Amino acid sequence: MNRKTFGRRTALLTGVAAVASPAVVRAQGEPIKIATLTPLTGAGGPYGPTMAKAAAAVVESVNAAGGVLGRKVVLVSEDDQTSPEPAVRAARKLIDVDKVSAIMGTWASSVTTAVAPLCWESKTLLCTVSGADSITLLPHQGYIIRTQPNSQLQVTTLGEFMLSLGVKKVFTMIPHTPFTQTTIDILNRVLPKGGATHASLVYDDKKTTYRTEVDQALRGSPDMILANGYTPDSVVLLKDLYRAGYKGKIAGFAYSLNQKLIDQIGQPEVVEGVYTFAPSPAEGSNAYEQVKKVTGLAAPDPYTCQVYDHANMVLMAIAQAKDASGAAIKDNIRKVCQGGGKSVDNAVDGIKAITAGEKVDYSGASGPCEFDDKGDILSCKFRYEQIKGGKFTLVKIA
Amino acid sequence: MELVLQALINGLVSGTLLAVPAIGFTAMFAVLRFPNFAVSGTATLGAFAGYLVYGAMGSLVAALVVAFAAAGAVGLFFDKTAHLPLVKQGALPAAIASIASGLVMENLIRLGFGNELRGYDRPIARDMRLGDLRVSPQQLETMGIALAIMLLVFAALAFTRVGKAMRASADNPELASLKGIRPERVAMAASFVGMGLVGIGGMLLGLDSSIDPLTGTRILLSMFAAAVLGGLGSVPGAVLGAFLIGIAEELSVLVVGSPYRAAVGFFAILIMLSIRPRGLLGERAY
Repeated sequence: MNRKTFGRRTALLTGVAAVASPAVVRAQGEPIKIATLTPLTGAGGPYGPTMAKAAAAVVESVNAAGGVLGRKVVLVSEDDQTSPEPAVRAARKLIDVDKVSAIMGTWASSVTTAVAPLCWESKTLLCTVSGADSITLLPHQGYIIRTQPNSQLQVTTLGEFMLSLGVKKVFTMIPHTPFTQTTIDILNRVLPKGGATHASLVYDDKKTTYRTEVDQALRGSPDMILANGYTPDSVVLLKDLYRAGYKGKIAGFAYSLNQKLIDQIGQPEVVEGVYTFAPSPAEGSNAYEQVKKVTGLAAPDPYTCQVYDHANMVLMAIAQAKDASGAAIKDNIRKVCQGGGKSVDNAVDGIKAITAGEKVDYSGASGPCEFDDKGDILSCKFRYEQIKGGKFTLVKIA
Repeated sequence: MELVLQALINGLVSGTLLAVPAIGFTAMFAVLRFPNFAVSGTATLGAFAGYLVYGAMGSLVAALVVAFAAAGAVGLFFDKTAHLPLVKQGALPAAIASIASGLVMENLIRLGFGNELRGYDRPIARDMRLGDLRVSPQQLETMGIALAIMLLVFAALAFTRVGKAMRASADNPELASLKGIRPERVAMAASFVGMGLVGIGGMLLGLDSSIDPLTGTRILLSMFAAAVLGGLGSVPGAVLGAFLIGIAEELSVLVVGSPYRAAVGFFAILIMLSIRPRGLLGERAY
């Protein structure tokens, strides 16, 4: 018997054995499929590619450590084009053709809203980074998990931050937006609890001057103005506040009070001391360092960190459920990231611990990752900055 | 009370700024006989042309001159090629075409400069105070420029040949041509000067706030309302209308809140057209 015949016979034998063995044994070899649906093009284009990359890095590391439930994980990545219509087509393909059990990383609220019904109808878990409050109010039966804080959480935290600065009279100046009324209502609740009064004015963001609005705001001599508009109107507003001789504190969201606004105004003393506020990744955590490494970014954005966490949580939930279906992931995802247990910051360690029968509690690159029944994140870190000499300086991350 | 007084002052300031483009708009209507809505585009164009020159030379006068010339030339080009050939079919086709040209200009500017905001690099100073009232030194300056330009326009209409020809042509085109005034020349002059004034208006508004491709669109309604209020085609009427609209818009902030500001313009047009369609000063009062 030479080596050649032995090889052929063995191969034949293995093949026969494989065909003859029960289906369930064969299925163990089938890969687990999950997907990213991120904006590789369109308005979200700056974020989508690194988001997909972060998820791919997680899958790669888990595969290198032997996969989940003894199976390899395959990540399918699609482009949502930051637009609902192509996003729905891509999601259909992921669900019907690739048969993935989880879709991660939808960015624009409009995209998430369009894709969500496909997901809950097909029992596919949807992990999103969109912020609109309405998303988790959809009848999603638990199939949506959101790592981005909603306006409720953001505004409440901002209110508490303003209180921590010791202000007594807050005046909010805000244009007409989908979040205007929520913002005013939340601050009306939060600020009086901390001993401050709150008044507000809704302005027209297309006016070229806010002198009369500013006069109205300053009539009650507030010691804090919340400038809650977009960049163009905030430029005019901050200039008019300065001209009116306002010397109290000013705060606002970092998406509008940004470097572009400072450059626009062009005079550092107008924006001196302004506080800005934004959701922040958990800088300094191991998971955040890991995201830095796999994406090659010096300061990864919150969305990339969140998708990194999505992938880790989904894979650990599969291990926890001993089942890779969307329904199983939905039922188990909270078991691996909240409620105490061994603290882990990556899926490889998490899966190892779960296989050993331990309870795990994941904290990731975006923060603690704990969710309420609606799928909203319970808390998250925020980044507070102050403009000094025309530059943003870090106040704290908390 | 001082809040109302302050709103009145603020309204006067914005009214003065509004008056310059409103004069341009109404003067064009007087001669060309159609509402030229391309002013939204030319106002933006003037603001950007002025911005480029001010950035390069730092001279306000040079910036004003270029804003006037650029807006005038481009406005004239669109009038010649797109609007005037349609006026023969009536004011409406020309007006609709002018909306389109406004959009074309807006998007060409967007193509060149992008959507981002730009600001004239002007010092921002604290306001001067008179008791409880306050005025900004820069606004006084812009207001002064606007008043000077208005005086110039009135002087030109009263004393120069072109001005007189424009008034004659506006008053009675047939009679004017019988007297040897060439209607096409007057139309071109009206178009150039009118659009130039609109360009200056865009720049004056941009001086105080910031500019982007939508600068002109934002003031279109107020400008139109001012012209209708004073009487379409009447230059003093446009000035009066601009002051009234400016003051009404600021006072409305105190009464109904600023999100309803846009309604002030529409409301003024509605009232005027139902009670006195000729406008406050009548259609052709110079």
